[in-house]
Amino acid sequence: MSLAPGWRRAFRLPFTRPRTIEREVDEELAFHLAMREEKLRRQGMTPDAARSAAVSRFGDATAVRDECITIDRQHAREARTMEWIESVWSDFRYAFRTLRRMPVFTLVATLTLALGIGATSAMFTLVDGILLRPLPYPGADRIVRLIQSYPEKGLDTWGITQENIAMYRDRATDFEAFSGYQPGNASLIRDGRAERLAVARVTADFFRVIGVSPAHGRAFTRDEDRKGNNDVVVLSDQLWQSRFGGRADLIGSTIDLDGRPTRVVGVMPRGFGFPRTETRAWLPLGLDPSRRFGWTNSGLARLEPGVTVEHARRQTTAIMWDWARRNADLLGVGSIQPERTHMATIVTPLQEAITGRAVRPLLVLSVAVGLILLIAIANVATLLSSRAAVRQREIGLRAALGATGARVARQLLTESVALALLGAAAGIGLAFGAVRLFTRSGLVALPRLNEVHVDGRVLAVTLAVSVTSGMLFGLLPALHGLRARLSADLSAGTRESAHRSVRRLSNALVVVQLSLSVVLLIAAGLMLESVRRLTMVDLGFRPEGVTSISLSLPSQYGSPTTVDPLFATVLEQVRGTPGVKSAALAWGLPFEGQANFDGYVIEGRPTPPSGNEGQTYQVAVSPGYFATLGVPLLYGRDITAADDTTGVRVALVDESIAKRFWRGTDALGKRIRVTGDTTWATIIGVVGAIHDDDATRLPAPHMYSSLAQLGANQVSLAVRAPGAAGGTMRAVRSAIARIEPAIPLDGDRTLTSVVGDSFATKRLMEILLASFAAIAVLLAGVGIYGVMSLSVANRRREFGVRLAIGADPRALVRLVLREGAVVAVVGVSLGVVGAFVATRWMASLLYDVSPTDPLMFTALSITLGAIAVGSCYLPARRAAKSDPLEALRAD
Amino acid sequence: MADTESDLLRSSLDLLVLKALSWGPMHGYTISEWIESATESLLLLEEGTLYPALHRLERRGWVTAEWGVSDNNRKAKFYKLSTAGRARFRSQAPVWHKHANAIAAALQRTSADFA
Repeated sequence: MSLAPGWRRAFRLPFTRPRTIEREVDEELAFHLAMREEKLRRQGMTPDAARSAAVSRFGDATAVRDECITIDRQHAREARTMEWIESVWSDFRYAFRTLRRMPVFTLVATLTLALGIGATSAMFTLVDGILLRPLPYPGADRIVRLIQSYPEKGLDTWGITQENIAMYRDRATDFEAFSGYQPGNASLIRDGRAERLAVARVTADFFRVIGVSPAHGRAFTRDEDRKGNNDVVVLSDQLWQSRFGGRADLIGSTIDLDGRPTRVVGVMPRGFGFPRTETRAWLPLGLDPSRRFGWTNSGLARLEPGVTVEHARRQTTAIMWDWARRNADLLGVGSIQPERTHMATIVTPLQEAITGRAVRPLLVLSVAVGLILLIAIANVATLLSSRAAVRQREIGLRAALGATGARVARQLLTESVALALLGAAAGIGLAFGAVRLFTRSGLVALPRLNEVHVDGRVLAVTLAVSVTSGMLFGLLPALHGLRARLSADLSAGTRESAHRSVRRLSNALVVVQLSLSVVLLIAAGLMLESVRRLTMVDLGFRPEGVTSISLSLPSQYGSPTTVDPLFATVLEQVRGTPGVKSAALAWGLPFEGQANFDGYVIEGRPTPPSGNEGQTYQVAVSPGYFATLGVPLLYGRDITAADDTTGVRVALVDESIAKRFWRGTDALGKRIRVTGDTTWATIIGVVGAIHDDDATRLPAPHMYSSLAQLGANQVSLAVRAPGAAGGTMRAVRSAIARIEPAIPLDGDRTLTSVVGDSFATKRLMEILLASFAAIAVLLAGVGIYGVMSLSVANRRREFGVRLAIGADPRALVRLVLREGAVVAVVGVSLGVVGAFVATRWMASLLYDVSPTDPLMFTALSITLGAIAVGSCYLPARRAAKSDPLEALRAD
Repeated sequence: MADTESDLLRSSLDLLVLKALSWGPMHGYTISEWIESATESLLLLEEGTLYPALHRLERRGWVTAEWGVSDNNRKAKFYKLSTAGRARFRSQAPVWHKHANAIAAALQRTSADFA
């Protein structure tokens, strides 16, 4: 059978609509039946018989029909998808070709976006690693930290005693397991040489609470956690590998820790570090439930499934109150009704306890980074819309060739997404570098930094951010492309009006950039000013030139008869070292966070009720301490070598205590004691008040006791050595090593750096916000420059005509500058309003600066306004130099 | 491909359709007539089963379809072998021969030995 000569194409693309598919299948099947019927009839059947024979030969027509329709629908769907993918792909190819044709534009836009996207991914990496991801412990959301609080006694946060640990462990039913821990140090002695390790002393239940067991060996038992029977240790993988070569036979053998033979029972899995990353070993606390003093531990507990933190808080607070009623004497009062006080436990999810302080800084930085990204987007949108103006002819041509408005818009959007992807590629590189700098440099003090890394999640977010950005900055020019299509007539007149609408759009984008820059600039300014004021705070002592080394004595130094001569020799030798101006020993150097904090009582003054007595730091010092630290001695005398256990107990108080009770020298000879001590100390001198812990807070009271009278085997040596301290400190260290090689000397720290560390976070914020602000101002400046240049270029004819008819070139400069000034004023004003709202939010990070500091607001907004107007100067000059003849030649 | 090979009947029908179309474009009815005469009405017991096969081949891209006008001046859907379809026929026909020969040989064996 041959084809009819005239068969023709009826449809180009079949099955576009379900209706068509059904109709065509029906027609096809009907045709077959009709043909068969006709043939049968020709063979002599009656019409009725022919029809029923055709139908029966065909089989189940409904099933065939359904199957054909299903197949065709799938086919149509696949065809549509393929067509879409192909068209997107061809759009992208076209977009990259277009971008390659304008390399300068592409480079500038890519760099701008790389900054915005890179900063965003770097920031997301940090936020994700630190705040969003669960801690690396099984069921980490059920692990909580427990401490206590007794605000009436000035104890906003209060550690727990060993008695408390046993009490919560045995009585709180909300916990699956309860343990106590205390970070500290220990000396590892190998071959006669000592090394200081960061360790944690934990109760036996710690491993159950944290949900991580040793990878080798075992954890220690409750029996090994009893006082006097606790010479066992679990090592970190890092210590095991680096100091013991990962030897399996180390487990079960004995090492020397703090001069005591200690049996290694286990090694934790690689990467485990609690409470700090650098914790190298876990020792049994040696739990003694009868130990009522020493509020130096924290509780760590695992909640029973389904129990809320709040429920556990109420339950443990009730236990605490019960304890307080029975221990009023310990709290320095006759009787106590805890429910009338604010005494309570503080139960915090562990993740919050670890990362809580990082939340605000990270959020502020995230917002700042978000603003940078928005500015970058606005900047590229400006660039693109100026390109769109240039490309109107091309777009008009495509429209004239039959491209629909949506098609043109899609092409333009594809172009901007392609641009965003280029930016993302460069930005990821930037983010990698930034995250590395953050996590490896050691400049940044944020928790969990060791867990932070760029990974698939970050890449996915980056991709999403860049595609969204591409859509955002592409949208405006794309809408413009739509409008341009409508004015397919590309005469000069319509182009003028198109220029005007592009200019309006560009001006709006510049306003956005300027206002966001103002917000960043003011935030950075406030942070800068805070840090400046912080560094200028008079700490009450002079940290410059002072270096400290911590000395932990081996266990054979257990009594004054051995300790005192050692300290005397150390001081004598160190003071004799060339370059050392003065030296002293102390337990509780400022900003080291080791000093005892306790209530104090003055002899002869009524004891305030219910622990409302004043609180003071208690520092134990050797002679020469005040001279070494540069704390002024106001009245009386310094501690001398004679103030030892044989002499009368002495103390110096600082001004903040002295002024509260006495005037001038009246303090001398009076007696004072801390509530945890029963011996009165005679006040022999008054010294200046100092800041401890935190320069942002008021100086806290300090009471100084004689080191020889108080006794301590963990002290710090403070050395004042002006000038180049490196060589001097090496000499000091070798002097100490000669006297007692078993004292571990890991590192010395300058007091300046210790103080600086206390506001490291503010400093980090300062540096980052300042960089962000600089980037923002740069982008905004480039943005306004670009827009004004374009505007001037487009109005060349107008300016030329004006010059030709005798306008003053300087008037043209003023005209352009005025236009720029309007944009600048609008942008800056909006920004000031935005900053007014935004900076309140960072108030807690500031120091001594109001978040709405008027001077800062005025100065910085004027500065940015000036930069904006300044960016218009070059374009304005160009306007004044317009050539009238060239203007007439155009078009 | 596995699904067509697993279904002997369907794969042989597909192959026959491709063979029919190798003579030139045809509509479904002509194809069914050709298969009936070529196989002595043994294979296509129900003519309707031809159509899902045709649509499947079209979806695979082995045949293309266009609407045209038949000999008796009616609108009909014509199928034509595509380049891919021609290649498919060339590669599948020998496979089918091999299988058929193997099965025929096996069925003619007269002993249970396998040497």
